[in-house]
Amino acid sequence: MNDRPPKFGDGSMRAVNIIIAITMILFGCFYSYLTMHLPDRNLPNTLGSSFVPWVLVICLYVLSILLLLQSVFKGSSETCDYAISKKEGISILFLVVIVIVYIKAMAFLGFLLVTPIFLAVLMLTIGAGKWKEVVLTSTLVTFGIYLFFQKVFQIILPAGEIF
Amino acid sequence: MTGPILSALFDVLQFQNIFAVMFGVIFGLFIGSTPGLTISLGMVLLLPLTFKLPAVTAVCLLLGLYAAGMTGGSISAILLNIPGTPSASATAIDGYALTQKGQAGPALGIAVISSFFGGIFGLTCLTLASPVIAKFALRFGAPELFALVLLGLTLICSFGQVSIVKALISGILGLIVMTAGLDPMMGTPRFTFGMVDLQAGISFLPAMIGLFAIPQIILGISNKIKVIPKYGSRIDRVLPRMKDLVKLIKTMLIGAGIGTGIGSIPGAGGPIAVFLSYDYARKTSKNSREFGKGTLEGVAAPEAANNAVAGGALIPMLTLGIPGDPITAILLGALIIQGLIPGPMLFIQNSQFVYSVFWAFLLANLMNLCLTLATIRLWVGVLKVPQRVLLPIILTLCVVGTFALRNTFFDTGVMLCFGLLAYFMKKYGFPVVPMLLAIILGPQLEEHLRMSLIISQGDPMIFFTHPISLVFIIIAVGSFVSPLIRRRAKTTVDDDECRTDSVR
Repeated sequence: MNDRPPKFGDGSMRAVNIIIAITMILFGCFYSYLTMHLPDRNLPNTLGSSFVPWVLVICLYVLSILLLLQSVFKGSSETCDYAISKKEGISILFLVVIVIVYIKAMAFLGFLLVTPIFLAVLMLTIGAGKWKEVVLTSTLVTFGIYLFFQKVFQIILPAGEIF
Repeated sequence: MTGPILSALFDVLQFQNIFAVMFGVIFGLFIGSTPGLTISLGMVLLLPLTFKLPAVTAVCLLLGLYAAGMTGGSISAILLNIPGTPSASATAIDGYALTQKGQAGPALGIAVISSFFGGIFGLTCLTLASPVIAKFALRFGAPELFALVLLGLTLICSFGQVSIVKALISGILGLIVMTAGLDPMMGTPRFTFGMVDLQAGISFLPAMIGLFAIPQIILGISNKIKVIPKYGSRIDRVLPRMKDLVKLIKTMLIGAGIGTGIGSIPGAGGPIAVFLSYDYARKTSKNSREFGKGTLEGVAAPEAANNAVAGGALIPMLTLGIPGDPITAILLGALIIQGLIPGPMLFIQNSQFVYSVFWAFLLANLMNLCLTLATIRLWVGVLKVPQRVLLPIILTLCVVGTFALRNTFFDTGVMLCFGLLAYFMKKYGFPVVPMLLAIILGPQLEEHLRMSLIISQGDPMIFFTHPISLVFIIIAVGSFVSPLIRRRAKTTVDDDECRTDSVR
C-alpha cells in the first residue's frame, strides 16, 4: 500500500484521480436525480425509459468508487503534466471565445464575410507573421471551402441576416 | 449473382466516383504524410462533405482516404523518422535507416508497392470472408444482436492500456450521453432539459469531430506540437528493381497475412499488426541481422501489414456492424448517416452496395499506388506546411462541418463541448476511443436489449437460452476479463522482479 498522502505536485496522478472519482460520483448523483424524474409510460412486461439510465448510473458509481479506492490505497503509476499552465488555459479560453464569436458573427454576417477574418485572427494568434501569407491564405481557404461545400457538394453554409 | 457485381462495378466507375476516390487518395496522402494529423481526423473532416453525396460516392471518398492515409504515414516515417500515423511506427525503424544511407527513394517505392500488395490481400480476404460471415449472421435476432453489440463494447477494455477503469468510465460516459433525446421505444423525452435540439438526441458526428480535432487544435495553439524538421535531400530511383521486388514477396505475404488477421480482430488495431509483422519477418528472414540497420524487408513487412489491416477491419464492420478501431467506427457512422446499417441485412437488402464497397476499395488501392508513385516527390513538400496555416483551416472545417449536418449551430456547440471534454480526458489519462465506440454502439445496445426483453416478456434468461447469444456473452465476458488477468499477471511478474532486485 502506498502511504503517501494524496497531493498535487509530485508528478503522479493520484490526487487528480481522487478528484475525478469524486466528480464522477457527484455527476452520478445528478444523473440519478434526473433519471428518478423521468416520465414512465410502461406497457405490460416492458422496460421503462429509465431502465438503461439506471443500469448506466450504477456502473458509473461502481467504476468511480473503484477509481477512488485504487487511488487512495494503491496510488497511481501514471505520471503526467496534469497542471494547466497559464498558456494552456489562455489557449483553451481563446478557442472557446473565438468559436462562439465566429458562430454569432456568422449568424449575422454570413460565412463569406466572417471566415476570412476568423482565419486571419487565428493565424496571427498562432504565429503567422507575414501579412501577405495571412491575407492570401484566409481569402483562398474561404473561397475554397465555399466552392467545395456550396457549389460542388451543395452543402448549405451558414448564411447571415445581412449576407 | 453476377448482376449486382457488374452493376456495382459500373456504379463505381462513374466519373464522380473515380473523382471521389482520387480526391480521397490525395487528401489521405496529405493527412497521412503530415505528422500530427491522423486518418481519423481526416475522416471526420471529410464526413460533412458526404451528406449530400450518394452512398457509393461517399464510400469511394472515405476508402480512398483510408487506403492512402496508411501509405502517407510512411513518407514522414521514412524521410524524417516521424511516423505520420501510429501504424507507420515500425516502418520508421528501417525506413529512416535507409534514408540515412541515401536510399530514401527505394525505401519509399517499396513502401508504396507493399502497401498496395497489403491492400489487395486484405481486400481479397474481405471479399471471400464477408458473405460467409454475413450469411451466418442472418440467423441473429434481437438477443443475439444485443450480445454482439455488448461484445463490441467490451473492446473498450483493450483501449485501457494505462487504466482499464478509466477506459470503462469513458465508455459509460459515452453511453450516458447517448441516452439524451427521445426514448427509442416509448418516445418519451429523456434528459432534454426542454431543448428542442436535444429531442433528436446528440448526433455522433459533432461528437466525433470534437473528440478527434479539438484536442489537436488546442495543443497546436499552446505550441505543444513539435517543430517538424525539414528533409532537404533529393529522392532518386523510387521504382524498385524487379529482382528486389521478387525477393520481397515472402515478406510482403507475411505482413499482409498478419495485417489482415489482426485487422479483423476488433480492438487489436494497426500498430500491433505492424510490429508483429516486422518481428515475424525479422525472425523468418535470412538477413535478420540487417533489420534495424536499414533493409527493404523491414519496410515491406509493416507497410504490407498496415494496409492489409484496412481490409481486415472492414470484415466485422460490414458483416456484423462492429467497428474494430476508430477509423472503421467513423466509416460506420458515415454509412449510418447515409441510411445504411452495416450488418448481415446489408448483404441481403443492399448487396449491390456491398459489392460497390469492394470495388471502391480496389479502385482506392490502385489509385493510391499510381498517384503516390507519380507524385511522391511532391509529398515531401507537404511536410513543410506550417501548423499556423493548417490549424485555422482545420478549425474552420470543424465548425462548418458540424453546422452542415442539421444546419444548426447547436451541433457546433456539441462539437466544442466534446472537444474540450476530450482534451481534459486525454490530459488526465482517459482514452477517448471507448467514448466514441459507446456513442456509436449505445443506441443499438439499448434498442436490442429492450426489444429482446419485450420478446421474452421481461425474462433476462433469453440471452442465455439462445446458443449464439450465449456464445457471444461468454466471449464478451472473456474479452472483458482477459485484460484484467493479463495486467494482474504482469503486475505480479513486475513485483517479483522488484523483490529479486532488492534482494540482490
